[in-house]
Amino acid sequence: MTELYTTRRRFMLASLAFSGLAVTGTSFLRATAAWANTGDNEDLTHFARLLFPHDGVADAVYAEAMAGVLSGFEANPETAGFLDRAEAALNAQQDEAWFDVDEAAQISAIKNIQDEAFFAAILGALRGSFYYHPAVWEHINYPGSSKEHGGYLHRGFDDISWLPESN
Amino acid sequence: MAKQYELNDDSVIVVIGSGAGGATVANELAQKGIDVVCLEAGSRLTLADVVNHPATMDAKMGWHDKRIGNFLWVCKTVGGTTMRWSGITPRFQEHEFAARSTYGQIDAGTTLIDWPITFKEIEPYYVKAEDKMGVSGTHGIPASAETNNYKVFKAAAKRVGYKDVNSNRSAINPVARNGRPGCQQISFCHSGCAIGAKWSTLYTEVPAAEATGHFELRANAMALRVNHDETGKATGVVYKDSDGVTHEQKARAVCVAGNVVETARILLNSESSLFPHGLGNSSGQVGQNYMRHTFGVALAVMPKPVNFHRGARQTGVVYDEQGHNPERGFAGGYQLQAIAVEPWNVSATIGGWGPENSVFIENYTSLAGLFITGEDPPEAKNRISLHSTERDANGLPVPVIEYRNHANTNAMREHAIDSSRQMYESLGATEFWGGDAPVGCHNMGVARMSADPKDGVTNRWGQAHDIPNLFVSDGSLFSSSGGGNPTLTIVALAIRQAEHIAERMAQKEL
Ligand SMILES: Cc1cc2nc3c(=O)[nH]c(=O)nc-3n(C[C@H](O)[C@H](O)[C@H](O)COP(=O)(O)OP(=O)(O)OC[C@H]3O[C@@H](n4cnc5c(N)ncnc54)[C@H](O)[C@@H]3O)c2cc1C
Ligand code: SF4
Repeated sequence: MTELYTTRRRFMLASLAFSGLAVTGTSFLRATAAWANTGDNEDLTHFARLLFPHDGVADAVYAEAMAGVLSGFEANPETAGFLDRAEAALNAQQDEAWFDVDEAAQISAIKNIQDEAFFAAILGALRGSFYYHPAVWEHINYPGSSKEHGGYLHRGFDDISWLPESN
Repeated sequence: MAKQYELNDDSVIVVIGSGAGGATVANELAQKGIDVVCLEAGSRLTLADVVNHPATMDAKMGWHDKRIGNFLWVCKTVGGTTMRWSGITPRFQEHEFAARSTYGQIDAGTTLIDWPITFKEIEPYYVKAEDKMGVSGTHGIPASAETNNYKVFKAAAKRVGYKDVNSNRSAINPVARNGRPGCQQISFCHSGCAIGAKWSTLYTEVPAAEATGHFELRANAMALRVNHDETGKATGVVYKDSDGVTHEQKARAVCVAGNVVETARILLNSESSLFPHGLGNSSGQVGQNYMRHTFGVALAVMPKPVNFHRGARQTGVVYDEQGHNPERGFAGGYQLQAIAVEPWNVSATIGGWGPENSVFIENYTSLAGLFITGEDPPEAKNRISLHSTERDANGLPVPVIEYRNHANTNAMREHAIDSSRQMYESLGATEFWGGDAPVGCHNMGVARMSADPKDGVTNRWGQAHDIPNLFVSDGSLFSSSGGGNPTLTIVALAIRQAEHIAERMAQKEL
């Protein structure tokens, strides 16, 4: 694999720790509130949806996941301002605002910035905060923690019944 | 009963690291009445600390010290990466101990050698290791229960004509054994087993060693370097405690088991006027020949629900491709092993963004998955070195990890992905993804055993060629990588090494 790929993976994994923790942290709640109140982050919310598209997941969930990314980034001087840079880089690619062009053009604008370090950082952190979000888990029927239910020993760990052959 | 030793007690053997290699060699020595101090950089968790939330557990037990280069998903905690591992425990095959003779030298870049020991010599220790770890399908232990994901895997394997597939060889208790319960299929094995069904040295080797009265575990003790005297014998280990205070524990002998990168760093960082290139490094081989296996993952969206999140993360192996069969276009062989991961990890494994990625999470409950592990030839340029200027929070030179897949490794992965695709498509998979998984779970080489001291760092007992009372006790010892997961072999070598140390002590040679 290329160096770039390895580096990006490292970042994604490293960002897991803080993005996962941010879900329970108070700074996350504050950032979420701030984000939700301003109402002018719809472009970045839409950006999040294009990165990890799930039709059944509400905008509010994407907004919250992005707020998690923001709070994590602001706490770190190396990443502070990354979201602004992404927004600026998307808007700079056409005369209108990125949010106002059609989806195909939006996607190709994202492709044009996908090799940037800030993009890799955002993608990695968003992957963590979005795919750890309880509403996303609910949407995909992923129940999360199981130890308090005694695991799946008596709850279907081997209940598959549609397989054509059994041995 | 846990003992405490004086810092200036030079009768003890100091073991660095409490993971698979370190805790095993320490416990085996303590069982023989030999006094051991184990220095462990991480803290000591209890089962009550284990929650089913991977990010939270990574913060509690992951290794987060600064490193440059390829990522390794390893742990800093009592128990080391046995807290995170999946428990699959195949033996290496006979020909894999004779890699150079069997494969030849693949090209100018590879540095294959034969192991200085044969399968026959390690076999009795495999038997002991399987008993110790409770490997399913051995020692009267039943096969592991067949999870949904394994059932798909097995049916798919049979469809494409594979024959050698079973759910044995997992160091997770299928039923209660040795004071530990049977697996409840809680399914967060990679974040610590909340009930201790999976073998981890935190609650097996460490307390067993403590019960002998010949063992002290010092948690939160980060080893910095190994000291030696003017004759070149190791005399003690310098470490930093949780308050940042530096101490030296004197030692009769030292066993290093920090999981490859740290093992190499400790040896390289222990340079002196006598050993200007680091301890045990007169051959220049310390840090070289770093191997990670041919790694890969395949994920498929099946036509109906699988619910692979229910049940142990890994159960079951296809062995049909593990032989050396050069007509396939590569040397060595691989295994396919059923694996399941959390939603975030599905997305991270596939990488990228957009519907090509999210379709797999959208269909999470219909996913089936497998993991590829295969032989990875050693190369001198795949190595661990120390950064010339950068220092970490402990003042240690930051390790630089340089690893690239060899063409043989890439060819093997492609073959394995092709096999995986055929497997899942034979059952009607609607989406398939297969690719590299560059996460550094299986780490080997860097202080390898060699018959000729010029070719490696340690001899057939894992004893440094240069320094008779310095031992390496982790995967760094591997002369070549084999194809299967490494830990059973690490544990077997550690048991064998402890026997050797005890014999040398009895002969007054240590
Ligand atoms: C997700 C995952 C799944 C895996 N599944 C399998 C599997 O199914 N089968 C298999 O065979 N293997 C598996 N492995 C690999 C397995 O975990 C390792 O092979 C094994 O743990 C290595 O043992 P070790 O003793 O070398 O290192 P570790 O178990 O990592 O222990 C090293 C210890 O040394 C400590 N240490 C390091 N440096 C210092 C220092 N300077 N001072 C003091 N202490 C130090 C560390 O904190 C750590 O506790 C898996 C690994 C991962 C990450
Ligand atoms: S599936 Fe079994 S081994 Fe894995 S965490 Fe659960 S109980 Fe432990």
